Amino acid sequence: MNTPAAPAAATGGRRGPLAAARSVLRFLRSPSGRALLSLALVMLLGFIFNADGAFLSWDTHRDMLRQVSVCGILACGMTLVIITAGIDLSVGSVLGLVAVLFSLVTIRWGWSPVLAVPACLLIGAAGGAVSGAIVAGFAIQPFIATLAMMVFARGLAKFVSGGQKISTAVPQADGTYQYVEIPEIFNQVSAKVLHDNVAVVTLILLACVLACGVLLARLRWGRYLYAIGGNEEAARLSGIPVAGTKILAYSLSGLFCAVAGICQAAQELQGDPEAGSTYELSAIAIVVIGGTSLRGGRGGMLLTLLGVLTIGYLEKILSINAVGEASRLMLTGAIIVGAVWFQRSRK
Amino acid sequence: MKTRRALLWTGACAALGLGLALPTGAAETAPRWTIGMSQCNLGEPWRVQMNADIKREAEKHPEIKVVYKDAQNDSLRQVSHVEEFVRAGVNLIIISPKEAAPLTPAVAAAYKKSIPVIVLDRRVLGQEYTCFIGADNKKIGKAAGAYIAKLLGGKGNLVELKGLMTSTPGQDRHSGFVEGIKGSELKVIFEADMKWLEPNARTEMESALARFKQIDLVYAHNDPGAHGAYLAAKAAGREKEIRFVGIDALPHEGQVYAKQGLLAASFEYPTGGKESIETALDILGGKQAPKEITLRSRVFTAENVDKGGEWLPE
Repeated sequence: MNTPAAPAAATGGRRGPLAAARSVLRFLRSPSGRALLSLALVMLLGFIFNADGAFLSWDTHRDMLRQVSVCGILACGMTLVIITAGIDLSVGSVLGLVAVLFSLVTIRWGWSPVLAVPACLLIGAAGGAVSGAIVAGFAIQPFIATLAMMVFARGLAKFVSGGQKISTAVPQADGTYQYVEIPEIFNQVSAKVLHDNVAVVTLILLACVLACGVLLARLRWGRYLYAIGGNEEAARLSGIPVAGTKILAYSLSGLFCAVAGICQAAQELQGDPEAGSTYELSAIAIVVIGGTSLRGGRGGMLLTLLGVLTIGYLEKILSINAVGEASRLMLTGAIIVGAVWFQRSRK
Repeated sequence: MKTRRALLWTGACAALGLGLALPTGAAETAPRWTIGMSQCNLGEPWRVQMNADIKREAEKHPEIKVVYKDAQNDSLRQVSHVEEFVRAGVNLIIISPKEAAPLTPAVAAAYKKSIPVIVLDRRVLGQEYTCFIGADNKKIGKAAGAYIAKLLGGKGNLVELKGLMTSTPGQDRHSGFVEGIKGSELKVIFEADMKWLEPNARTEMESALARFKQIDLVYAHNDPGAHGAYLAAKAAGREKEIRFVGIDALPHEGQVYAKQGLLAASFEYPTGGKESIETALDILGGKQAPKEITLRSRVFTAENVDKGGEWLPE
């Protein structure tokens, strides 16, 4: 670390503007500081390219939060898995599967949300547990195990839904359609509260971020995740239940996929077996831009939250400026690389 | 461990055997003709509807049996499906190709082997096929443009939400629309590629709403896009001052939206499934089929949905 040229005596000891400046610089070099800087840079772009003032209205920010919430929820679970030096490629497919199942049980079978929501969360967690068991039990690389789950879950979603979206239009035997009411839970989850200023899914995202944050910072299992990611052998030798912890990480990822799937179905007012396609890439980009290392052992929920906001604002700025599809993809790719390069640890 | 490996091998062989054995359903009376249907993907509801239309029409004729293959949007996989149909000796092939160029040689090979080929919805290159059945996206786009111009009295602010612009339907529905509004004072103030997807359409519409205070109508290249735009407008409390026009008019989607008043109009993009089986029966019965069958479209509005829509002029 660079030390300033002026001797300590000239600044009058620890208190003083130079010391304050030094601690600010130290914060900015920390992972959270760098994530904050990336976010600040993206927001600056938004102010410059504000699309006739659209960026300055609260509605734009509220909509940005709503749009990024589903991927953000996926990123919460993804963070836990990445900290263990693993990866979960199946998040998009499990989201689609749960979206379909949730729509099926509430719209077609008339289940109450009190039964439907826990059932769907359980299915998501079970899917994650299977991935985790394959990784932990058969020592198969997370990339491969979750790739297989990604393909399988997508197929299962298409099987359960019969290849069609599950909406309030119920197909009858003679080819016509009958219409049912949309269950209240869909309207509740897709609603806006606080005088229409915040979307419910954004609050759900914040709850997920908080829950994961508490797990990582305060609970023993959170520390185990870091230990496994840092050095799995050392963790195993020091008595940490490595297999159990891994299964927990992937199960939680599956659980958050289920939450995201319910939010997606509610917002679309239907269960789409194709929902969540390529969302896994967005979730990974969010985690990585936040500063959590893919090598594991480092990172946290604050970083992921900053990553969520960074990606969210980036997509929103490109959208309100009606940037063409080709440019959008190239810019996003370049910025992801740029942000990660900027974030890398200078050790 | 030896036993573990032996177990794995037995399991794999059993799974393979089961997988091969399952699909066989014994037919009571062998149908006279077998038709191979190659679909480029079943991810789009419109294509699921196409297969459903084919199935419904085929069930009325017990002398034909249709074998369906789904290429999952992979051109090379679709080529191998066509080759499999040829090798299996089907009597006729119906294909909805993903793209023209990769599928042209395979279709031509089947055609040269005297297997009639009906091409649905998307074209192949050249002339080596028996019959092409499809609707005209340019015509539909132009009709939509003309309808919108008439609806808004010739002036207004429009948002265009486009389907995947690397696909011909997207390009045609856009170019047709541009031609349809030519000469009027309609202005497209915001356009975006929503890739046929409802959540994307909603996101883009939100951006348009944030940016423009006065939007009169949204023209979306498909009904899910129009619906997504409607949801965005509803969330912003502006759905009453904006009108929405979509394309596809599937009975459980666009036609419902039109009936509910969400869409001012939905333009039908017929799947051609029914017509493909009718034409197939003609061909198999020895009759001559025309080289091109252009399907006509209907426009559905709240008033005419129950009457079955209104046919667009030729």
